[in-house]
Amino acid sequence: MKKFLALMLVVAMGLAMFGCGSKKEQTDMEYVKDKGTLVVGITDFAPMDYKDENGNWIGFDADMATAFAQKLGVAVEFVEIDWDNKIMELDGKTVDCIWNGMTLTAEVTSAMDCSNAYCNNAQVVIVSKDKADQYQTIDSLKDLTFAVEAGSAGEEQVNALGLKSTPVKSQADALMEVAAGTSDAAVIDSLMAAAMVGEGTGYENLTYTIGLNSEEYGVGFRKGSDLVAEINQFFADSMADGTMKTCAEKYKVQAALCEQ
Amino acid sequence: MDLFIEQLPVVLEALNIGFIQTLKLFFVTLLGAFPLGLIIAFGSMSNFKPLSYLTKFIVWIVRGTPLMIQLLIIYYFPGLVFHNPIWGGGEGGRFAAAAVSFIINYACYFSEIYRGGIQGIPVGQEEAGLVLGLTKTQIFFKVKLLQMIKKIVPAMSNEIITLVKDTSLARIIALQEIIWAGQAFMKGSQGISGAIWPLFFCAIYYLIWNGVLTVLLGKLEKKLDFFR
Repeated sequence: MKKFLALMLVVAMGLAMFGCGSKKEQTDMEYVKDKGTLVVGITDFAPMDYKDENGNWIGFDADMATAFAQKLGVAVEFVEIDWDNKIMELDGKTVDCIWNGMTLTAEVTSAMDCSNAYCNNAQVVIVSKDKADQYQTIDSLKDLTFAVEAGSAGEEQVNALGLKSTPVKSQADALMEVAAGTSDAAVIDSLMAAAMVGEGTGYENLTYTIGLNSEEYGVGFRKGSDLVAEINQFFADSMADGTMKTCAEKYKVQAALCEQ
Repeated sequence: MDLFIEQLPVVLEALNIGFIQTLKLFFVTLLGAFPLGLIIAFGSMSNFKPLSYLTKFIVWIVRGTPLMIQLLIIYYFPGLVFHNPIWGGGEGGRFAAAAVSFIINYACYFSEIYRGGIQGIPVGQEEAGLVLGLTKTQIFFKVKLLQMIKKIVPAMSNEIITLVKDTSLARIIALQEIIWAGQAFMKGSQGISGAIWPLFFCAIYYLIWNGVLTVLLGKLEKKLDFFR
């Protein structure tokens, strides 16, 4: 019986350890300042977040995030996450914000508190180059099977139009499906399409045709975070003093920038 | 072809970094799961029934659910439910969570292999030991352990080779092992996008490593070929 009691004690202690986590109520900003780092959840997504030759994260979003952390007086830490798990990462406090060219979809805005939009974007249809002429209108898309990223804005659009689609793991996988001929077409972000499709890219035989909608990029924080007001102020300030524009020009996304 | 030669060093460098993560997870899992598996095996063989039932219950849960679910729960549960992200968001935390999940999972599989090995030893040996005045602990370490190790090598080799490939599951919590590194070039990383060939190189890394392990474990099996 002694052994059994000992075991039960161990279990009880283990549970108690978890329980100790809930300290006094702290705002999100205090929490971030307390630990001294702003952990930014990203994916490898040029031109927003990507690595330079030395392995440092650069890109329009990465540079802006670094500047924002500087303003808060904390260090910035970039963590590559699985995009499917972004809301879990945020709520589970393994990251403090999602700053990675995130489209402000209904799903995103209902699960996170988001900043004002800072970039415009559209969802575009990707088809192989030799068939591009046939698919310049929404009506012409009816017979195609689409590959779309699960949970993406592209999937929302395709479903809204009642088109046949296969959800895949990422926008890159969607492109791969079209290149491999396993799907006829894909729907991805225009910023990504501009960077990844056509002459001089890995997908020279693909091209993009029509845009399905226009949408906006924002930064996501935990529900109720006071960092949202802070970042909106930061965007307004850096728009006013031109640093945001300079940064956007560096990564060639200035055309998509939103007024703050 | 020129492009391939230009890209190859970039890809190999990324794959090497990923493969080191894979190897780290592999060795840490083995180091943790070997002893933990033995403890679990003792638990399930215990004469004290509640302990034996509890252990068997845990083994049932761990072996009966996918490792991928265990990874997600172990990594996200503390932060989501208790608002206390014990692992942290950085690379180290993700590795620690992955290692804990893998150790628990593999220890449960190992424990059953150990149990089979221990229980396969004729009862006569234990009786002889008791008659000679050895304690149970002495009997285990001096008589049974080595025989058990010899018996379980083929079954363990199987699990160890499976483990090499299972490490790729850790990418679900964004541990950047070799397949993560290889797949990054599909979606675009360091100026290379839409490339599937890095994944073939990933496969070669696995093949070579599993080849090395197969040879080493085969040698070990031969070395333990005494007692008949």
